[in-house]
Amino acid sequence: MARKMLIDGEITQTNEEEAHYDFDLFVIGAGSGGVRASRFSANYGAKVGICELPFHPISSEVIGGVGGTCVIRGCVPKKILVYGASLGGEIEDARSYGWEVNEKVDFNWQKLLHKKTDEILRLNGIYKRLLTNAGVKLFEGEGKLVGPNEVEVTQLDGTKLSYSAKHILIATGSRAQRPAIPGQEFAITSDEALSLEEFPKHAVVLGGGYIAVEFASIWRGMGATVELLFRKELPLRGFDDEMRAVVARNMEGRGVNLHPRTTITEVIKTEDGVKVTTDHGEEITADVVLFATGRAPNTKRLNLEAVGVELDKTGAVKVDEYSRTNIPNIWAVGDVTNRINLTPVALMEGTYFAKTVFGGQPSKPDYRDVPCAVFAIPPLSVVGLSEEQAIEQANGDISVFTSTFNPLKNTISGRQEKSVMKLVVDAETDKVLGASMCGPDAPEIMQGIAVALKCGATKAQLDSTVGIHPSAAEEFVTMRTETRRVSGSGKPKTNL
Amino acid sequence: MVSSLAAPKLTTTFSSSTTLLFSKNLPLSLSNPFLSLPLNLTSSVTHLHCRSLSFCHRHRRGFVAASAEPDNGADSARKYDFDLFTIGAGSGGVRAARFAANFGASVAVCELPFSTISSETGGGVGGTCVLRGCVPKKLLVYASKYSHEFDESHGFGWKYDSEPKNDWSTLIANKNAELQRLTGIYKNILKNAGVSLIEGRGKIVDPHTVDVDGKLYSARNILISVGGRPFIPDIPGSEYAIDSDAALDLPSKPEKIAIIGGGYIALEFAGIFSGLTSEVHVFIRQKKVLRGFDEEIRDFVAEQMSVRGIEFHTEESPQAIIKVADGSLSLKTNRGTVDGFSHIMFATGRRPNTKNLGLEAMGVKLNKNGAIEVDEYSRTSVPSIWAVGDVTDRVNLTPVALMEGGALAKTIFHNEPTKPDYRAIPSAVFSQPPIGQVGLSEEQAVEQYGDVDIFTANFRPLKATLSGLPDRVFMKLVVCAKTNKVVGLHMCGEDSPEIVQGFAVAVKAGLTKADFDATVGIHPTAAEEFVTMRTPTRKIRSSPEGKTDSEVKAAAGV
Repeated sequence: MARKMLIDGEITQTNEEEAHYDFDLFVIGAGSGGVRASRFSANYGAKVGICELPFHPISSEVIGGVGGTCVIRGCVPKKILVYGASLGGEIEDARSYGWEVNEKVDFNWQKLLHKKTDEILRLNGIYKRLLTNAGVKLFEGEGKLVGPNEVEVTQLDGTKLSYSAKHILIATGSRAQRPAIPGQEFAITSDEALSLEEFPKHAVVLGGGYIAVEFASIWRGMGATVELLFRKELPLRGFDDEMRAVVARNMEGRGVNLHPRTTITEVIKTEDGVKVTTDHGEEITADVVLFATGRAPNTKRLNLEAVGVELDKTGAVKVDEYSRTNIPNIWAVGDVTNRINLTPVALMEGTYFAKTVFGGQPSKPDYRDVPCAVFAIPPLSVVGLSEEQAIEQANGDISVFTSTFNPLKNTISGRQEKSVMKLVVDAETDKVLGASMCGPDAPEIMQGIAVALKCGATKAQLDSTVGIHPSAAEEFVTMRTETRRVSGSGKPKTNL
Repeated sequence: MVSSLAAPKLTTTFSSSTTLLFSKNLPLSLSNPFLSLPLNLTSSVTHLHCRSLSFCHRHRRGFVAASAEPDNGADSARKYDFDLFTIGAGSGGVRAARFAANFGASVAVCELPFSTISSETGGGVGGTCVLRGCVPKKLLVYASKYSHEFDESHGFGWKYDSEPKNDWSTLIANKNAELQRLTGIYKNILKNAGVSLIEGRGKIVDPHTVDVDGKLYSARNILISVGGRPFIPDIPGSEYAIDSDAALDLPSKPEKIAIIGGGYIALEFAGIFSGLTSEVHVFIRQKKVLRGFDEEIRDFVAEQMSVRGIEFHTEESPQAIIKVADGSLSLKTNRGTVDGFSHIMFATGRRPNTKNLGLEAMGVKLNKNGAIEVDEYSRTSVPSIWAVGDVTDRVNLTPVALMEGGALAKTIFHNEPTKPDYRAIPSAVFSQPPIGQVGLSEEQAVEQYGDVDIFTANFRPLKATLSGLPDRVFMKLVVCAKTNKVVGLHMCGEDSPEIVQGFAVAVKAGLTKADFDATVGIHPTAAEEFVTMRTPTRKIRSSPEGKTDSEVKAAAGV
């Protein structure tokens, strides 16, 4: 029965139908993209096998776990820690609302870590069940290509299994990398940071990306002294400049020590901890040094060269718009392709892969207006273009609407932290090109705005929507007066 | 740049930008903008929001009401003190007054002196929303929610030597300080817009004249925006009961409170007092809370509130309140008597403030609830008299009053007859957990469209798996099967009001389920669930053969 459903999206290799394969699809890597693709392919009637490395919170060439980065070493554990850290601020704020809270508030890192690990194990089990229920055969071990239609899985005990498959999907994700700085072995990556045995009372975070910003917020929220070192003037390169400045200001306001235009030249281990030397000659001794300077695709041990699968210069698998590699029956989705490295994007790619290959409907993932969030405290969320991107891409004028306000909750708590919202609008068509927000609940607020934006909503349509009062989100539908107008070719008139 | 008027988050950009405009465009001194306003037309240039003189002048023309008929009975040759006189400076009145002034009209607004309890003689600039509604309510919701957060925090590794206690007097003092600040800000907003503020009780004495405590003001147009007030039914002992005004400003925290009513106000206060560790009993006449809401939401919120310790007494109506010798109150109902309440609160409805305004004498028509009858442009049966907000009892929400006030200013002073649009108005209930919704309930959609697809998600949020608390989240999409349009969206769970706002834009714009599905999720959030509901929970078909009430929802996630 499964046979009958096998309809290739584009290629016509009907004659090959004669060949017998162990699987219609073999997937290497059971993270977000791989699990989605295999489940959906199985739902279309394909016979699917998937392999994944054994579970452990800290990944390596030989360690992984069903669920992948998102569940085990990314989104989920990170968000759990963000919840934990945010509660620290909440407890402080409660006092102005009349709550008598002990001066001495303790935070027990081990307890949270333990509960986090329990939750991840639970999710790991759920993912395995999802696969089983979809009829996908799961193998534990390291998968590699042997030929264009053959995968070899090395199991834990060293025995090797070999399977033939009509299609092979590479969904092995990526891993945190350490830069080549002397003493880098004394630093940790985000994997270890999510599983530290001791809470770092003093932490140095190197990097300006979202991972660096999130960990700085987490540790600071739990009471640590945190130094955030980054190369640029502001963290979060690629995001809207104005919002970057807001994030930086808020982090500073919450006590993170920012070190812009700074990098580390050396790390050494001392009796008191780990000592870093910066390129400004400054020396900081901390309990932990986190390198959050980038991730690299997991393509090294897949034996791709043997089959001739092309990689780009970052080591990512090169694919076409349908996620197909240069080898017609080998495909790749998720972080290993280094397109947009987000779980929901990997899910989209996995879904569209299954549709294309086994659903008879060739479908390209749509990368326009993908919303995303940075779970700093408070968080940042954006969809569409930043002001700078809009100006770069526009022919005509760009209309910018901003709102900076003191959230209602802060009026009593006294917390000095403004929420900032921004809409970037094409002045001629009135189409909203970008929306961003930094403030409590921003990621939750942005999802609905993303639906509207994706469908080409105009500013007038936002304005015609009645607000929900009192909320922060209502600000997005009540921005009446343009803050500034910038001509497409011109420079943004920000004061940053 | 300026946030919604009713929103208490008055922006920094607001103050700085007004200053900017002021210095750029208005070299004249504005030290007393009220002084010459009603008399001298040229002083309209002092309206801060006019970008330039020509802008103001352009819109000075055509101030005769521009809606269906231009003639509002005004004598065009006659000189009036004001183009618009507004009675009541709440959300609708302030919005209409400001916008009218921005269009170049000379505007006055009168309001009763500040009081946290509303009456025939007490009110205050800002109105119900700021002083006795949305804002203080939400502040108390924030305060009360901390007890839940303390419970959550244990699961996340936080520990205190003793359980936190709430000091009611600190909370109420801080709340009142904030209300004072806000009423001051609202006064400034009016002042900066060049609106004359008159403190006192306004009464209409003829279609173009308002009497404020004995002083007469003539106006081309009169706007009634006096709002509504809580209403306590007349049962024996009702004098011992409190309403929501009083509940927001009690001298001490209730030990044990009965809340009568199943509407949103009752649920919000139940959550507030329960969170502040009072014992809370809610008495509702019907089987379920929140009549008019989606049935599944009604069930879900009641269940979640019960789990948090609130006791619901359904189909139980109050008959009398008895004050016992020990000072406590007993509530006698159709089912028996419950004793030992420190407070009994009625949340059984609100009534428009239409008494003693001179309306009957003027021939302004009221409906049977005492609300002012208006046409689609908010005009009453007397052409020069208009009404917006709760006093008209249309959709009693601050943002709707703002919409009505804004539309009115456009209609009368901007040559642009504008009807408020009541389609797809989102709203929230700040219960704990809160509700957000927009569009039709499942029941309404079935009635209206017949064939409807229902998508639901009922899940334990990530936070609850760690905290160990029994919190859940419920989400629902109501989709018209024929057009694929999302006609209703409902959520009960943390952050619902914030989450629903963006989706309200999508629902209002008539987007389809496919549009929702095409949007990439933001991970990990609760909101992403609304764009990842793949399988209908049930399909409702009017034709019998199509009836597939299937419960086929697959496990959510990857």
